[in-house]
Amino acid sequence: MGGIDSLDDFENGLKPLWLRAQAGDESAYRGALARIAARLRGYFARRLYAWPDEVEDLVQETLLALHLQRGTYDPGLPVSAWMHAIARHKLVDLLRRRGRSQALLQPFDELDEAQHPAAAADARPAQRDLARLLQSLPAAQRRAIEWTKIEGLSVAEAAARGGVSVSALKVQVHRGLRRLAERVRREP
Amino acid sequence: MKTGDWIDLLARNAGPAPRAVAARRLWPAALGGVAVAAALALALPGQVDLGAVGAALWLKLGYGLALAAAAGWLAARLARPLATRVWAAGAALALVVAAMAVLGLVGWLQQPPPQRLAYLLGHSWTFCPWAVFGLSLPALAAALHALRALAPTRPVAAGAACGAFAGALAAIGYALACSETSSAFVALWYTLGVALSAAAGAVLGPRVLRW
Repeated sequence: MGGIDSLDDFENGLKPLWLRAQAGDESAYRGALARIAARLRGYFARRLYAWPDEVEDLVQETLLALHLQRGTYDPGLPVSAWMHAIARHKLVDLLRRRGRSQALLQPFDELDEAQHPAAAADARPAQRDLARLLQSLPAAQRRAIEWTKIEGLSVAEAAARGGVSVSALKVQVHRGLRRLAERVRREP
Repeated sequence: MKTGDWIDLLARNAGPAPRAVAARRLWPAALGGVAVAAALALALPGQVDLGAVGAALWLKLGYGLALAAAAGWLAARLARPLATRVWAAGAALALVVAAMAVLGLVGWLQQPPPQRLAYLLGHSWTFCPWAVFGLSLPALAAALHALRALAPTRPVAAGAACGAFAGALAAIGYALACSETSSAFVALWYTLGVALSAAAGAVLGPRVLRW
């Protein structure tokens, strides 16, 4: 999947799933994210060959950014182009945090995805423990995420359990994930 | 956490993607920015008889609104990771500035030569750009805050667009406290104030628009 497809195949496979996901289809969203994760793994592995341990963390961080920013996707554009714009931004951000010059990145743009299929190898384990970071969120946000996204309560059930409105609960989940993204960026 | 588990977590109960995210964040910044700029402008010392300002008031308000619309559009485009139609929004902004420059030039040429300098400088040219710039700072903070939650990948340009947007909102507010009546004054000094705000946004962008 993903890494060995040409960009066109990847886009053609992803777009229908993605559009259904944007409309609220949860299983399509899961499938789309899985394809994207495989693609990102290859993309980052080729560019972070000196730090293979960073790849899976960056895949997870980028998936979180894609999720938080999915409202900025414009249906008239290729999903893969939008996704790569975010992936590239996350890669540059990581290199900057690691003190590498952005100039180092320029030659990477010329890499041809299809010519390096082997680099899209199996996933190494992630170094960062997102479950532990989730525990560090403020209580209301942490509970909202645990109920709706780990225990699998519906948003309405979780809102009733928390004694808040449905929209307030959605805001708690979104703010919690945004705060998580900020903590991920600040981790060494 | 394994990536598969992470995907499960992200997808579960995700619901439909939010729509019009940039507009939903920039509108409150626009309304709040104008309200604060107008309130601060009206609190400036010295009463202005807006009736005596006449048509120039509408020129200033119209210029500010057109600038805010174009710069807001530009900021909304640059708030997306894959920024498209940036050139169209940028051209719209340039067109508004150019149209105002033409109006100012026409007004300036209609003056008898000895009065042209006074027509251009008015009585408040040393104050006006700084007033517009100062009044834009609350709106600039609001606009940058709005874009922080989105995904700009060109932070200098996105910051500058936020600054031009905030400067235009400030110009609308400052028009209520400005007694100048010449179109050349508006074309030069109001635009300079907006440009100062855009420059501040360009400097702040890379520092605050990180995600």
